Amino acid sequence: MAPLKSWLQINAKSHFSLHNIPFGIISTPDTPEPHAAVAIGEYALDLQVFSQQNGFSALSIIQPHQKVFSEPTLNAFAALGRPIHRVVREYLQSVFLDNGPFPDVLEKNEQLRKAALLPLKDCKMHLPMFIHDYTDFYAGLNHAYNVGVLFRGPQNALQPNYKHLPVGYHGRASSVVVSSTPIRRPNGQILTNLAAEKKEPVFSECKKLDIELELGCFVCKPSQLGEPVRIEDAPEHLFGVVLLNDWSARDIQAWEYVPLGPFNAKNFGTTISAWVVLMDALEPFANAGMANDTELLPYLDEKDRKSNYAIDLSVSLTTSSGKTTNIGKTSAKNLLFSFPQMLAHHTIGGCPFNVGDLLGSGTISGESKNEKGCLLEQTDNGKTEITLEGGEKRKFLENGDTVTLTGVCGSEEGALVGFGDCVGRIDPAVQLSF
Amino acid sequence: MPSLKSWFPIPKNSHFSLANLPFGIISTASKATPRPAVAIGDHCLDLQEFSASGAFSSLGFDVSVFSKPTLNDFASLGRPVHGSVRKFLQDVFAENSSNAQVLQNNKSLQEKCLIPRDGVTMHLPMQIRDYTDFYAGKNHAFNVGCLFRGPDNALQPNYTHLPVGYHGRASSVVVSGTPITRPNGQILENPAATPKVPTFSPCKRLDIELELGAFLCKGNKMGTNIPISEAADHIFGFVLLNDWSARDIQAWEYVPLGPFLGKNFGSTISPWIVLADALEPFRSTGIPNDTQLLPYLQEKEKNVYDIKLQVDITPDGGETTTILNSNGRNLLFSFAQMLAHHSIGGCPMAVGDLLGSGTISGTEPGSEGSMLEISKGGKETVKLNGGVERKFLQDGDTITMYGVCGTEETGLVGFGECTGKILPAPKL
Repeated sequence: MAPLKSWLQINAKSHFSLHNIPFGIISTPDTPEPHAAVAIGEYALDLQVFSQQNGFSALSIIQPHQKVFSEPTLNAFAALGRPIHRVVREYLQSVFLDNGPFPDVLEKNEQLRKAALLPLKDCKMHLPMFIHDYTDFYAGLNHAYNVGVLFRGPQNALQPNYKHLPVGYHGRASSVVVSSTPIRRPNGQILTNLAAEKKEPVFSECKKLDIELELGCFVCKPSQLGEPVRIEDAPEHLFGVVLLNDWSARDIQAWEYVPLGPFNAKNFGTTISAWVVLMDALEPFANAGMANDTELLPYLDEKDRKSNYAIDLSVSLTTSSGKTTNIGKTSAKNLLFSFPQMLAHHTIGGCPFNVGDLLGSGTISGESKNEKGCLLEQTDNGKTEITLEGGEKRKFLENGDTVTLTGVCGSEEGALVGFGDCVGRIDPAVQLSF
Repeated sequence: MPSLKSWFPIPKNSHFSLANLPFGIISTASKATPRPAVAIGDHCLDLQEFSASGAFSSLGFDVSVFSKPTLNDFASLGRPVHGSVRKFLQDVFAENSSNAQVLQNNKSLQEKCLIPRDGVTMHLPMQIRDYTDFYAGKNHAFNVGCLFRGPDNALQPNYTHLPVGYHGRASSVVVSGTPITRPNGQILENPAATPKVPTFSPCKRLDIELELGAFLCKGNKMGTNIPISEAADHIFGFVLLNDWSARDIQAWEYVPLGPFLGKNFGSTISPWIVLADALEPFRSTGIPNDTQLLPYLQEKEKNVYDIKLQVDITPDGGETTTILNSNGRNLLFSFAQMLAHHSIGGCPMAVGDLLGSGTISGTEPGSEGSMLEISKGGKETVKLNGGVERKFLQDGDTITMYGVCGTEETGLVGFGECTGKILPAPKL
């Protein structure tokens, strides 16, 4: 199928082609209260302005609901449900379509174009949703295996439960921030001498600060206490996908995590990309994900449905000297469980969900050396170093390092569906005195 | 300290004496909108109605907080305001008060504001931004560790150095009285078998966990920490917390990332938040820690409380049995220490955050805070009144937790009930 062409000049390599139309929350100097927008090419279409000036006049189904575009989060829009998301997205594609059915709405409406089509560089991005609860899963099998080998050897790398259920833990919702928010290196308790008989931690800044390349998925349909979401129905509950960097303090984690799981090692910050790519935009790139040789219990059985996605993911590190190095590339196909399976599992005992809840996929790594989604794997837990452009070495992150995650589906120019950047710069730890 | 005497009828043995004045969110048949109230004896004072009369005007705070459906806005006003509101209310209810004109001599305002508690519906008192459960009940941690690893390895090396905790599921915290549905899930029937193949069934080891909860009234910006010396400013008040647990579901899922579905099917809190001010007279030392703590966790005050705790079980249509008596002192770490630890790496805390203490067990038989411990890992049955036996919870069982401080002479300060009834698992 030939790429959709717009009357708007959109660079053929843009991740915000007419095939995408991701949703986000912006503010501008003229409209400082955060409100909804979609990204297209190098522009944001300000949905508050667009709706207030009757841009949706040809779309009757959205008429009673247009206030949602003036809300400071996408929660109210998401709550309208996937049929409405679908119709709104398709309408906006039609509005931007070259020789499309609605030329008077925007193409020939200079006044509305001036008011509503804003250069992305002039927009400040905000967290796209209000996140009641955030759960991080562990479905990147290669990552789980690699980490398991580092700590337990190949025979015991994966726990007995790993392939039977999507292992996950509750994360800290308050610590999820939008791309470009600086991330402060945490202080905490660290066991510097792991081999010592008597385990005495010291208090210091984290010395093994790491990244985790993940996808995040937002929920758009709530579920009640005591009422599981069935695997057949799970896709209706999912709004869209972002990139997610689950910054991790490996040394703090090693000392604290037995037996109740990672805690302060994670809750100092988690970054998500600003533009939510709707499930419909990802549909052409649906993929089965990794094969599971374990027979799953029926509540997790998706049968032939493909709910993972062929997204090309990339991690780069920019040092404070300004040099950027690509430090990993992999595919989101490298997940053992899908978001519908994670949701069905998460609710199977009756855990309730709210619109805006966030699910993290877990670190995504491929099989080969250059496909590792975290530095822990890339450096064998700090045994080896990676070499950056210009010759600097890294085991873990240094202050001033900026990490950028990107993701894009497809290879056809003019039809790329991407996520924008998921960026964070490491700031020095707070100096605490006692 | 003599008890404050009231002109208002407060039963001598009420947990809601004038020494208490806990805050909650109520609704009534005549007015369905949830709004703030204070419990007093067998009644509650509707704070929306009371503040509409102008009664609080001398205190100079924004009374619109008492027209909100949660206590978050009131809590945000800070501890000095909480303190002045509570003192004012104590004075308004006191015998020979200088403020008798406010309520004592105002029959029509009494009719508007004072509502019998048995006619009132309680709601979650706060909008919970995030919920974290700690593990600071050392006797519980030791008992459970013994069951799985023997006494020499019962406690992990980190246990006495830091308050171990995990993020909980905020959406699953419910108010007392909410029915709790037995979860279905993956269970490893035979842990000794190889290979390990789980089955899918209702939880067969459904348990309780007797805990205290602390609500925050002040947060911190991401990247900053809350010093332990300031922790008290951030803590609003306390509730009882039942961290219902599915032991079999937990056993299969929890390695390596911690408890998950074993917990997030429901956690119950009592509806009346006892303010930190009300617990002042009951400060106590907790379980002594012979580990030298890092400076950020060292505290000067005694930040644990002497609270008598009790848990009753009532089978469907059956007799009630008290299955344990414990005390809030049975904690290795205080809430101040939990808060200092939680924020030490820059985690942002917020108004409405809930911290759970972890299961509170004593050292004596009859003081263990979970059925896992009482039944010695499910090996021994517990004999209840009426000839009934239990290892874990059965469908139809109601668990009720109580907590109270002080004496009738000085005025009891209690938490009301933290109760829940187990409903059968859905058939899927």
